[in-house]
Amino acid sequence: MDLTQAERDMLEGREGPARQRAMKGLVQLGRAYGAPRMVEIGYAHIHAGMALYLEDVELMEELAAIDARMAVPASVNIANADTVNWRATGAPESLARLQRRAAGAHARLGSDCTFTCTPYWAGHWPTWNTHMTSIESTVTIFCNSVLGARSNRDGFFAVYAGMTGRYPLFGYHRDDMRRGTGLFVVEADLAGPSDFSCLGFHVGAAIGDGVPVVTGFARRPSLDELDALGAGIATSGGASMFIVPGATPPFADVEAAFGGRDVPAPTPVGRAAIDAVYARYRDAHDAIDIVHLGCPHASWEEMKHYARLLDGRRVAGGIELWITASRNVRNAAADAGVLARLEAAGAKVISDTCPMSCHFARTVSPDPALGVVPPRLRAVVVDSAKQAKYVRDMIQCPVLLTGAEEAVETACSGRFVPRDAR
Amino acid sequence: MTRRIALRGIVEGSARGPLLPSREAISFLGDVDIRSGRVVGDLPSVRGRSLAGVVLVMPYTRGSAGAWRFLHQLFRHGNAPAAIVSGTLPDPSVVQGAILSGIPVACDPAEDPWPLLRDGAQAALVVEEDRAVLELDA
Repeated sequence: MDLTQAERDMLEGREGPARQRAMKGLVQLGRAYGAPRMVEIGYAHIHAGMALYLEDVELMEELAAIDARMAVPASVNIANADTVNWRATGAPESLARLQRRAAGAHARLGSDCTFTCTPYWAGHWPTWNTHMTSIESTVTIFCNSVLGARSNRDGFFAVYAGMTGRYPLFGYHRDDMRRGTGLFVVEADLAGPSDFSCLGFHVGAAIGDGVPVVTGFARRPSLDELDALGAGIATSGGASMFIVPGATPPFADVEAAFGGRDVPAPTPVGRAAIDAVYARYRDAHDAIDIVHLGCPHASWEEMKHYARLLDGRRVAGGIELWITASRNVRNAAADAGVLARLEAAGAKVISDTCPMSCHFARTVSPDPALGVVPPRLRAVVVDSAKQAKYVRDMIQCPVLLTGAEEAVETACSGRFVPRDAR
Repeated sequence: MTRRIALRGIVEGSARGPLLPSREAISFLGDVDIRSGRVVGDLPSVRGRSLAGVVLVMPYTRGSAGAWRFLHQLFRHGNAPAAIVSGTLPDPSVVQGAILSGIPVACDPAEDPWPLLRDGAQAALVVEEDRAVLELDA
């Protein structure tokens, strides 16, 4: 790889051991993928250090101890416990204490300890052509597809990229990767994030690791709908980017989305394909323990929508209604009185984590000394195809997918209300 | 007699251990129990086998954005493979997990290694920059 003097200084240890470790890793990654050089990044969404994984918080503490610092603006991904309100989730205090140690490490690293999968709703909004890195595939696809920034689906190396301000030039940092590989035309009237989540799940499974171009919308999808579309696509496949012509910068139309190459024959997506995703996540169940809204972590607009749905209502006895949002969005909701309306209806507003990311997961292996015991859940109702997949895979209990409006109806009536019951 | 096979180096380092040839691609997220290091996925040639300390050879890696975390968790639990040889270029998440865990990785063998691989025989992988050698004890 062709390295600048500044990059060689880091590689050879003249910028300290932390940057040397990071640059050594990035050079090996770049060499593996044929990167000719590094690019300067403008933003990093990085690993939290997760309390449910053995010695994972320590991983971040080790970096802080050798004076690692973020060279660019950095936000922090979702964590394993609500560090303030853990009692509301039934988590042991030991888990919240360990998760708070990660927050201490991030304070030293200089990252904004957002503990969220939607840092954009917390003010981290990279702009067109900004090279960046993200450990969270939903953030990668939102930033590539809605904001026009340039990101791969990264792992831990998002931390190394943040520490050096560099990333090897490969994948979605290159123009030639940012072109459509398949065309989908929506022939259904979609409304709201849950429908877009199902659309994304369907398209993501069909496109694999390509770039789907999605057209046919009756109107420009909202930011919340685009967020849900991306989360769905990234969940069922390996895609890092979608293109909605006219919305995704800089692609004005379908021809531009394919970059001058032949436009492939369109694949229609009708209502049946959307309903099939809802039907895929409709397990047999005896009773519902939790209804969940806010995957990915809810935006301010979604919080207002939930409050309107819940005004004058009351969550049924024996059911918990969880609304997950970043602490920034939670605080905004508190300031505006929205949080009080949600809580008056009996909802729990949880930050830093979500059902699939918290101590409910059965696929993790924490330090036994933490005393983490996943509860037996009889069923979880969600409004996101992403959360549905991971509740089934990680919590390993029955899951039912519906719309946000129907999920609120479910929580207040105690009976599952499917999306197709409208 | 030792046979040497040249490969493309991906992650630097050197390691030695018994060979575990897998006919199927292993996904570190889902196919392996991090607590025991054993393959729990439906992979007929290696199901039930432990990955701890082995020189793991497989045709390709199965992609998942979370693979790095589970490979690193295998390492933190003392159950990681000593080295990984993949027929084709591994996906970036596996590469990141291997670098983080100090596990050497190589791919693209210069000759077909499969006729030479004996389950459990000692092997060593040495990777320097983009050059790698897999040494197989006879």
